[in-house]
Amino acid sequence: MNRSSTATPRNIADALRGERERRPPADVSSASGLRSILEDGIYEILGGARPISSLVIRASSLRQMGTISDISLAPLSRVRGILVNQVLRLLSIGAIVNDPFNDALRAWRLEVRQSDLLDLVDHLDADERARLETDVTAHAVTLTRSLGSVRASWRPRSTVRASQYLGAGAVILRDVIDLMVGTTSSELANVALFDLTTSPLGEGAERTMRYHALVQTLRTSVVPLRTTCFSSATGEMWSLDVDSETLVRSANEVLAAIDRLWREQ
Amino acid sequence: MTTLAHRRTSPLELNALINSAPRTPVHLSDEHRRSLSARFRAVASDTHRRIDAWMVEQAGKTSPGFRWSPATARRVLATGALRRCGRVTHVSMIDAVTDEIADQLARATSGFARRGSLGDWLSGLCASEIALVTAEAASWAAQNAEVAEWITSPWQVPTSDAYYDVARARTTLRGRRDLAVTLDEARVILRFRAGSPGKSAGPGLRSDLTIEALTHPEGLAPARIIGVWPEAGVCLSVEGTMDDLRSGARDLVRTAVVLRRLEGARAA
Repeated sequence: MNRSSTATPRNIADALRGERERRPPADVSSASGLRSILEDGIYEILGGARPISSLVIRASSLRQMGTISDISLAPLSRVRGILVNQVLRLLSIGAIVNDPFNDALRAWRLEVRQSDLLDLVDHLDADERARLETDVTAHAVTLTRSLGSVRASWRPRSTVRASQYLGAGAVILRDVIDLMVGTTSSELANVALFDLTTSPLGEGAERTMRYHALVQTLRTSVVPLRTTCFSSATGEMWSLDVDSETLVRSANEVLAAIDRLWREQ
Repeated sequence: MTTLAHRRTSPLELNALINSAPRTPVHLSDEHRRSLSARFRAVASDTHRRIDAWMVEQAGKTSPGFRWSPATARRVLATGALRRCGRVTHVSMIDAVTDEIADQLARATSGFARRGSLGDWLSGLCASEIALVTAEAASWAAQNAEVAEWITSPWQVPTSDAYYDVARARTTLRGRRDLAVTLDEARVILRFRAGSPGKSAGPGLRSDLTIEALTHPEGLAPARIIGVWPEAGVCLSVEGTMDDLRSGARDLVRTAVVLRRLEGARAA
């Protein structure tokens, strides 16, 4: 695998874009092959049967494959993840974030108005709230120091949602990419995907990176240049140049997840 | 028979869909307008009603209290930003959105913004909230610009949505349009939508097609209307045939009937 790992990346933005001269031509032909692999695999798993409700695959379905519980799914960990992601959204447009916790909380409140997690934050006692604030601030500082300057000319898009219906709607692939830069309208591979996690990077992060690349390829029919994952807990970043091997591997991981879900149903 | 077609949103497929649009547009006559007006008049309304494709898709269900949010504000700001990028070269999408927001805020400061308008809402937000609205609108605009850049034919961002007042029927029809592609004598309209197309996406597109034809001074229907769902990577299209225009008009009148029934049920 074409992976580069660094303990303290000086600049995520530069790593995302890489060197312009080394970008390969945009691959616009792999998407149909990947779709065939997935459709054939789904038919092999489901046969003629149809699930009661659509089988939904998310990045988290791949991240937790084989694990029984994931501490990052605890409510307060999810709140932390959401708030750090809000900080990323603000930073991606060049906003200055002086008070990460309160800025992120205000932004989140504007977006959702009401949710169980928001209620949870509102009902934290002073100590718990202070702990959460310190935690979010620490993650935000790591992110801010590592991110560097995301140029507006790269067309940064944050929280990019995607969904793909397969097997006549029996399977839905859903994805949210935290930050995306570049454009598919260029003749050279140009799009870089960025995933932010507040957990340390592990095997699941690799699968998530590949999954983002797969869904993005299916969505636009253009293979992205690069997919990266950054941990605001450790300051570590993994980056992967996307090729057909990466995408086929992810398609097989998705099929394994579908198989698992189908057996559970 | 409907001409509803389903395609993937890729540069190749989208251009094929645009370029294969029929070049001889269908024409709505004054007789058609009078007939539509009579049908709407037959559905009495106590208040002025506004019908759009969304209401057609929701079978006349009215929205549960509209409120501004980054998601509801993004279309207005992103469309303005796209238009601005078309006018001014070398302006980034984020700068264009920032300028749009600045215009809205200036309107609010000078007292031109109505209560409850976008400018009024923005003027009550703090810096981090404005930044989130900017991020949301810039992401939406960049996503749409990416699709627009795939199009090989000349295109432009319309100056506004299509509004048509049905004569003496206390009814305004609103058709959404995000991009207009010019093909010789004909035009193709694109609409960008969030999420995935539902079962009623076809009727919604046909309603927009009909409203777009009604608002044209000579009643010329677009050769094709394309609904693009970038998040799902699919697009649906409807040709501007007389059958589809009639079907769109029927759906709009049906929505007015449902609204009337709901009004009656509320009054009772």
